Amino acid sequence: MANGTTINTAATANCTSGFDIERSVVTHRRWLTVMACLLCASAAVVIGSLRFGAEYISYTDAVNIFLLWLRNGSAGLESAEPNFMILMYVRLPRIVLAFMVGGCLATVGVGLQALLRNPLADPYVLGISSGAALGAALAMLLGAGVTAMAVLSLPLFAFIGGLLSIGIVYRIAVSYGHLPVHTLLLAGVVLNAVFSALIMFITSIMDPNRSFGMMSWLMGTLLAPDYPALGALAVYVGVGTAVLASQSSALNILTLGEESARSLGVEVERLKKTIFVTAALLTGAVVSVSGLIGFVGMVIPHAVRLFVGPDHRLLLPASALVGGMFLVIADALARTLLAPSEIPVGVVTALAGGPIFLYLLTRRKGGLAS
Amino acid sequence: MKRRQQGILTGMPFMANVVPRTFVDDLGRKLYMAKVPNRLVSLAPSITETLYAIGLGDRVVGVTEFCDYPLEARSKPKVGYARPNLETIVALQPDLVLAPRDFIRPDVLAKLEQLKIPTFIVEAKTVEDIASRIQMIGRMLGQPESGNRVAMEQRRRLMELKAKTEGLPRPRVLYVLNSQPLITVGPGSFIDQLIEMAGGVNVAARAPSPYPRLSMEAVLAQDPQVIIFPVGTSEGISPEEQTLWRRWNTIAAVKTGSFHQIASDLLNRPGPRIILGLEKLVEIIHPEQFTSSDSQPNR
Repeated sequence: MANGTTINTAATANCTSGFDIERSVVTHRRWLTVMACLLCASAAVVIGSLRFGAEYISYTDAVNIFLLWLRNGSAGLESAEPNFMILMYVRLPRIVLAFMVGGCLATVGVGLQALLRNPLADPYVLGISSGAALGAALAMLLGAGVTAMAVLSLPLFAFIGGLLSIGIVYRIAVSYGHLPVHTLLLAGVVLNAVFSALIMFITSIMDPNRSFGMMSWLMGTLLAPDYPALGALAVYVGVGTAVLASQSSALNILTLGEESARSLGVEVERLKKTIFVTAALLTGAVVSVSGLIGFVGMVIPHAVRLFVGPDHRLLLPASALVGGMFLVIADALARTLLAPSEIPVGVVTALAGGPIFLYLLTRRKGGLAS
Repeated sequence: MKRRQQGILTGMPFMANVVPRTFVDDLGRKLYMAKVPNRLVSLAPSITETLYAIGLGDRVVGVTEFCDYPLEARSKPKVGYARPNLETIVALQPDLVLAPRDFIRPDVLAKLEQLKIPTFIVEAKTVEDIASRIQMIGRMLGQPESGNRVAMEQRRRLMELKAKTEGLPRPRVLYVLNSQPLITVGPGSFIDQLIEMAGGVNVAARAPSPYPRLSMEAVLAQDPQVIIFPVGTSEGISPEEQTLWRRWNTIAAVKTGSFHQIASDLLNRPGPRIILGLEKLVEIIHPEQFTSSDSQPNR
């Protein structure tokens, strides 16, 4: 990434009316400062949230367990110490998963918002999430539903569902010659309605014992994954985010308008396709491990844009970290508020994200109506 | 004071001639029946099973799509379940509809009243409730002897179970409704009650709701000794689900391989077969109380 030079294009982008131009200039130094701060904050949030869960484990205990593990390895500990199991196999993987899912959703949100130059763009609005959820629901109906993570067909079906929905939206929009923003959004809204109806249909014909589990899984669920699964997901999310980040300079130019971007040498149609496919794959991965978690993709990029400005070279990685932190905190609440029982994390993000979104909306009316 | 009490007592024989034709259902609604109903529609599998158990199967003219026991019930006309098809019900010309309190929707009930179809609401919250409802339905439908017989048999077997588990150590039990996310039964649910009656301790007894999403952390800390999976009629615990649970190798039930399945219909339906479900549950939780042939955990 070319961070060394000062580029003003982003500061003049359309969604920044009223934004302080001086502050939004991204210099190499500013990029490093912001990212270093956010990385420290992320580490603090992750370590801090290790303390929160249904079972109380003090920091001292946690450190002791960790030291014991360093000395003896995990072999002897696993059977001896339930707290070790809880900390290392339930809580830690779940926090890491929450961070990845949150980061992923926020990144996808940034990409789609830039592409459509519309603050409403979000994997949910465009129907990618419900398409992925429909794929997952179908996989469950066909019998893979007992173990959401262990069975390979579930993420596969979710990818296919997400890709299919984005393909349909894209086809509809392309029939107009190019991709008018309002057509795309409308197509997404309609697709969303149809997919939701199909999901409801699937739950209604399912064995009631199983449809109950599927509905609560769809509400947004962060499970404790085993480490191989977590590693696979990390590779996936890492590649997807890197692809999106590599396009951030092009996204900056795209915010000037498609015509201008074209004349400045950006291959707009190819850029669009890249973003769409990456967004569909990332959303499919996230939905297949955690169900539908809303508002992260819409709220986080907004909030981050307010603080770091609209330059995607900074906005994209910063949103990823903030989105991760947001979901880790939301999940800590979901784990503890009704302990020993849990709240679907999708409910927490919607309850927390909705008011934040409304606050941003009233504070910056001009900025949202691009 | 004394005289008034006497008055009530001397009034009883007279009351006996009136009361049997008026019945109060579990919503407190009074239902007067001039004659014994002949065409019955059941809106719950538990009610269908009750009607068959007291020998009234041939008077049943409509059932829900979930009424699969006994086998003959499957061939009866279906009327739907929580949202039954009112047109089908009217066409069947029932003189009594028996509906469960939990799943009948108020608007459906109002519509049935409007259509002048007598509706009797049944709710059984405990095992004793089930026995008394069987007796009451027997009385209402002109089969008091068989109703009493089924109920007394149930109570007798319940006493036997109580005697069997009395004073035994109580193993910690986890009842898995759904593995991912983990959903189990908490206080206020019927199955939680059954686990206690069967001489076990529900590990989700501290949960705030009847069907909580339980934290895996809480499960690891509570360390269940027995894990029970309710299953449908044909399938068992899937290999994937077993692998999933084997990961948690500090749990006592995982160490001893104490995974058990039970037919969910036996525990979910507050009907005459509940005692069978309870006996199965005791067999799972206290295998030592049974002969060696059936004491092997079936993994």
